[in-house]
Amino acid sequence: MKAIRVQQPGGPEMMELAEVPVPLPRPTEAVVKVSVAGVNSADGYFRDGRFRTPMPFIPGQEGAGVVTAVGAHTKTVKVGDCVAWSGVLGSYAEFVVGPEEHLVPVPASISDEQAASSMVHGLTAHYLVNDAYKLKPGETALVHAAAGGVGLLLVQMARTIGARVIGTVSSEEKARLALEAGADEVIVFTRQDFETEVKRLTDGKGVEVVYDGVGRATFDKNLNVMRLRGMLVLYGMSSGAVLPVDPAKLSEKGSLYMARTTLAHFTATRAELLARTSAIFGMIAEGKLKLRIAKTYPLAEAAQAHRDMEARKIAGKLLLVP
Amino acid sequence: MKAIQVKQVGGPEAMEVVDLPVPQPKANEAVVKLAAAGVNFIDVYFREGRYKATLPLVLGQEGAGVVTAVGAEVKSVKVGDRVAWAGLLGSYAEYASVQAERLVPIPLGVSEHQAAAAMLQGMTAHYLSHDTYPLKQGETALVHAAAGGVGLLLVQMAHNIGARVIATVSTEEKAKLARGAGAHEVILYTQSEFEVETKRLTGGKGVDVVYDSVGKTTFEKGLNVLRPRGMMVLFGGSSGAVPPFDLIVLSQKGSLFVTRPSLHNYIATREELVERSSAVFDMIASGKLNLRIEHTYPLSEVQRAHRDLEGRKTTGKLLLIP
Repeated sequence: MKAIRVQQPGGPEMMELAEVPVPLPRPTEAVVKVSVAGVNSADGYFRDGRFRTPMPFIPGQEGAGVVTAVGAHTKTVKVGDCVAWSGVLGSYAEFVVGPEEHLVPVPASISDEQAASSMVHGLTAHYLVNDAYKLKPGETALVHAAAGGVGLLLVQMARTIGARVIGTVSSEEKARLALEAGADEVIVFTRQDFETEVKRLTDGKGVEVVYDGVGRATFDKNLNVMRLRGMLVLYGMSSGAVLPVDPAKLSEKGSLYMARTTLAHFTATRAELLARTSAIFGMIAEGKLKLRIAKTYPLAEAAQAHRDMEARKIAGKLLLVP
Repeated sequence: MKAIQVKQVGGPEAMEVVDLPVPQPKANEAVVKLAAAGVNFIDVYFREGRYKATLPLVLGQEGAGVVTAVGAEVKSVKVGDRVAWAGLLGSYAEYASVQAERLVPIPLGVSEHQAAAAMLQGMTAHYLSHDTYPLKQGETALVHAAAGGVGLLLVQMAHNIGARVIATVSTEEKAKLARGAGAHEVILYTQSEFEVETKRLTGGKGVDVVYDSVGKTTFEKGLNVLRPRGMMVLFGGSSGAVPPFDLIVLSQKGSLFVTRPSLHNYIATREELVERSSAVFDMIASGKLNLRIEHTYPLSEVQRAHRDLEGRKTTGKLLLIP
């Protein structure tokens, strides 16, 4: 089968189209013919070596497709099922093999593109506003990278909950997208200091929660824009990992809470995974959650997709089609 | 009047008995004749200079007594009222002039000694178990220094809520006290590894919350005994301050939450202060909360009090009597 292969960590050029054998399922696994694979920032971290994995490897953790083979003990899915997944490495390929408990059914009311676009980002936004910090009506959330993959979904979900959303973005064009998604206020951080602005917008009190996938670049100021006993939920590190944190700062800045979360811990059981995917797919099918699919690339152009992702100029989801 | 003053930070010998004028209240203050001053570990941090304050400094942040004079603008208390406070420096003295808004009434059924013993540590145990991580029936909490001032109160409150309490202590004698306070399991960390024991006692699952006032020697292992999405509540540093740590470990160890609360952020408004102190006083008056006041010292023997506290010989509360 055709697959993207990385032999050594490095830049996007390290991803080459290769011909490799179609994988076979182990007893509790299934093989899926990939119709669409989603591109995520974590794919870049595996490719550049920040996240370690044995070489050579096939990148990609998200997608949608049809089950073509199951292992001897596989019970959750059968051949012919339409499924989607996150957390299954090897998705940038024509076929991927993964544990059965990671494969969720895709309802007829949504397309493979929608499923592949919403697994990682949608589940992330869902756990952030429901479980990492349960956002309540009337509260104010600061959403960084508000026009990013998770950002646009977070903004919509926070608005649906009835919270006030302040978003930060890097350009006027992205500001427009964040406002369209429902942000109440958007700060273009390349032109204004977000700390000053957030304080102004909250009469000096600060926000209840900051949802941050940016990491290093925003960390110090984040601690200054929260209200007493507010929470910073760090779910990503697109600008780099945060430098070591002195816990005394949390006390100093108002007895703040902090969490560093990953999707796996919020989809640890199949029941939890299905509860979240049902919620997300339901919202998409009803038109309550709008996905922005920015661009679709043939599998062979995966390197270009990574270049575009890392240049941060395109707002929205990038997909690969084998 | 007699008072304990620190002119230069240092060990217990840095505390001198001095003669100072009885304070006059500012417009928004009231003067209280102290019946007792509570001794707290935070006094040690101010005496050593770990926490900074202008020198010379009259130590002590907790007291109870009777109002003897009020400033012109004071409406919340009057001469003759029995009052208590925590968090304002100057209680190691015969009289203290305190912001009236921060004085709470002592109800009948609670003595001044009990109030002085319960304000800081009682409100701390209360906010920790009711607000920072509101414990629920059936949850499991790990409480370090469980026979200490806050520890014994926190164990009782957690037990009363219906949580399962795993306590860590350094001696058999302290273990008895912790069990008497309601701890379900007690680990002598001087004899066994609390990390190993806690994992065993929770069937490998981990606890919901760690309440840690010890800090440096316990923090990292505490992260290892939390269940996924559990919370580390770091509220002190008796073994030393926790050094800066890499946030990524929080995500690696289960998407953990961390907070470093301070009492003053949980009694920020008079409303909250009165609510919290009343809740604690009610528990004392109704017998639900037992105060262990084992060690009372004349004000002039404050050096011995600090030596006893730092030598970890004491259990429960230490009071200074002017």
